[in-house]
Amino acid sequence: MAKAGYNWSDIARNPKYLELKRKKRVFLFGWWIAASAYYFSLPLLAGYFPSLFEIKLIGVINFGYLFILSQFLVAIFVAMYYTKVANRDFDRLTDELVREIQ
Amino acid sequence: MFTKFFTALILTLLLTTVGFTAEPAKSLDHASAANQPSSSALQVATVPQSQAAIVAVAAPASGMPTKIKPNRTITISMFSTIIGITLCVVIWAARQTKSAADFYTAGGGITGLQNGWAIAGDYMSAASFLGMSGLISLYGIDGFMYAVGPMFSFIAILLVIAEPCRNAGKFTLGDILSFRTAPKSVRAVAALSTVTVSLFYLIAQMVGAGKLMQVLLDIPYRVSVTGVGILMVGYVVFGGMKATTWVQIIKAGLLMSGTVLLAFLVISKAGFNPVGFFADIVGNPLIQDHVRVNVLKDALPKAGFDYGQRFMEPGLFLKNPLDQISLGIAWALGAAGLPHILMRFFTVPSAKEARKSIVIALFINSSFFFLINIIGFGAALYLSPQLISSVDKGGNMATLLLAQLLGGGAGSLGGDMFLAFICAVAFATILAVVSGLVLAASAAIAHDVYVNIIMDGKADQHTQVKVARITSLFVGVAAILMGLAAEKENVVALVALAFAVAASGNFPAVMLSLFWKRFNTAGVISALLVGTISALGLVVISPVMTYPQKIADDAQKIVSTLEKKQLEGVVLAEKDLKLMDKSRKDFEKNNGGTSMVGLKTAIFPLKNPGIVSVPMGLIAAIIGTFLFRDRRAEELFDEIEVRQITGLGISQASDH
Repeated sequence: MAKAGYNWSDIARNPKYLELKRKKRVFLFGWWIAASAYYFSLPLLAGYFPSLFEIKLIGVINFGYLFILSQFLVAIFVAMYYTKVANRDFDRLTDELVREIQ
Repeated sequence: MFTKFFTALILTLLLTTVGFTAEPAKSLDHASAANQPSSSALQVATVPQSQAAIVAVAAPASGMPTKIKPNRTITISMFSTIIGITLCVVIWAARQTKSAADFYTAGGGITGLQNGWAIAGDYMSAASFLGMSGLISLYGIDGFMYAVGPMFSFIAILLVIAEPCRNAGKFTLGDILSFRTAPKSVRAVAALSTVTVSLFYLIAQMVGAGKLMQVLLDIPYRVSVTGVGILMVGYVVFGGMKATTWVQIIKAGLLMSGTVLLAFLVISKAGFNPVGFFADIVGNPLIQDHVRVNVLKDALPKAGFDYGQRFMEPGLFLKNPLDQISLGIAWALGAAGLPHILMRFFTVPSAKEARKSIVIALFINSSFFFLINIIGFGAALYLSPQLISSVDKGGNMATLLLAQLLGGGAGSLGGDMFLAFICAVAFATILAVVSGLVLAASAAIAHDVYVNIIMDGKADQHTQVKVARITSLFVGVAAILMGLAAEKENVVALVALAFAVAASGNFPAVMLSLFWKRFNTAGVISALLVGTISALGLVVISPVMTYPQKIADDAQKIVSTLEKKQLEGVVLAEKDLKLMDKSRKDFEKNNGGTSMVGLKTAIFPLKNPGIVSVPMGLIAAIIGTFLFRDRRAEELFDEIEVRQITGLGISQASDH
């Protein structure tokens, strides 16, 4: 890799860079906010609507238990989806940009 | 030379410690000793002390064992094996640690897979392994809810912290924060914050470790703290990040194997039928009694109320929803701001590997917490909450008791072996976690304060490594001394504090440095100072502190209840008489007393200050930034932004 000495402000105005930056920002912050909303709904619902958690769904297993399990699945889904998008789009755009600069 | 001398020193100290362990603890009050890990071993989870006391009073103790007895020979040989293996790793790592980058970040040569296991290991502390299953076994689903925070904290780390930090950073929090600010003052504040957070966390872990080893191996508290401390110092001083990482990986592997095996035994005992398993729990008379008498305190059963089903519903342990949200904030943001976690992103060669490591850690930890839930519910069903709380009021021995039972029962070879294995794994867990903390604190002092502030960044590799090693030694010794001094302290507050400071100070500072153009020196310093001070201020006036007046009032209540019984003509059992005597003494000792800051009761109602201190840190950062505008910081933003997004100019693995 080339030594330092990039013109950072030039790169910052590169259209490819701007596209990458915009895409990343929308995706990352969007998913972060959405995932956090789901996460905070757990203490909110458990604390203020406990009767919802008491609804039995499978035998004695209730909504509360399954909702906690769903938190795990949602986190794993977000992680997998992000990995897929990052490997497919972000890394490719980054590589193209780096090749163009060097 | 240096290495050899220290190896000899450590080995000598180690042998002395092992020698000590042969001498059994004299007259340890096991009841009170066992009570302690409940507060210290649990990370953010806190057992309200007064509540724990009531549970203990109500718990029937007739004919039940009140302590756990591991087989000494088997346990000590398992411990020695683990110590032996890790020491080999340290010697191997020490040979390869030549530059500062080697010491702090293993030269950036850890792969994503390895780092994923190491990060997972950082999360799987003794607190989650022993404490969380204990909470589930005593309070049902509320214990399981605790697992969601640590698991979900990976989302913030994965999406907005890990890759940008890897791209823009080098060794420490100070490196990221000082990028476009006045480097010396920012580094000084960042180092102060890192040392504070890491030491608080470290002391809590040391005290927890001491109490745990005291119960498991029957050795005195000071010996176990010193022993754990010496090993920890040895790992870090010689092996640096490489040894710390590998110790963490080995431990994570052992811990996962133990957990999988234990959970598998529970599932097979339940006939591989989850619905039936939970139906058995709900229908179990002992669990029903426990929920009714010990948790809900209903002397007579309410007609038509399903106490067994109540075990599967929230609110038995977690009472205040605001506290839960506050705790949720502490996890979601705090974990991403913990210096020893941040440091792990620098050990991999690229952002892509950093991403991979977080996803792997998330996978491992989700499976781990899921299995812990099976173990916790299994412990409730197959051991009974009464038995678990008679051994330890906080439930911390649930996993160990279950291992003993499923291995074949107390006294059987299988039971002893499995129990010893799980004990040894818990021990390895503590060692690995504390080592990472020592490394993070030393890096802040050696790299930020010494190399970059005192020496202006002009120090050769040899000096840097030497300074880092000496610093680690001092940090480790300081941690041992503070751990010894804190034996009787309530360390729950320290952990709450570490997370709150990380969430309210470090997290906004890192985020805004990476994503906000106008952010500057004044902003960083305001975020760190206001975040730290508000978290600290709120914790010392919160319910996690010890309030002697409250203890006195509770004792008074017990005395008057028992006296009333006596007046009614009931002849008290010897146990009750003892309790009355003890409560009278407690009352006299604590009546009129005040907390550390002179309070009779808590002013701030929540155990975790995050819900207030995080906004305060964030607002301070924004106000500070606007008050002292800094054009230079804004001009340099292009550089840090391009670096964090693209990875151009990334700090590479040292070339040697």
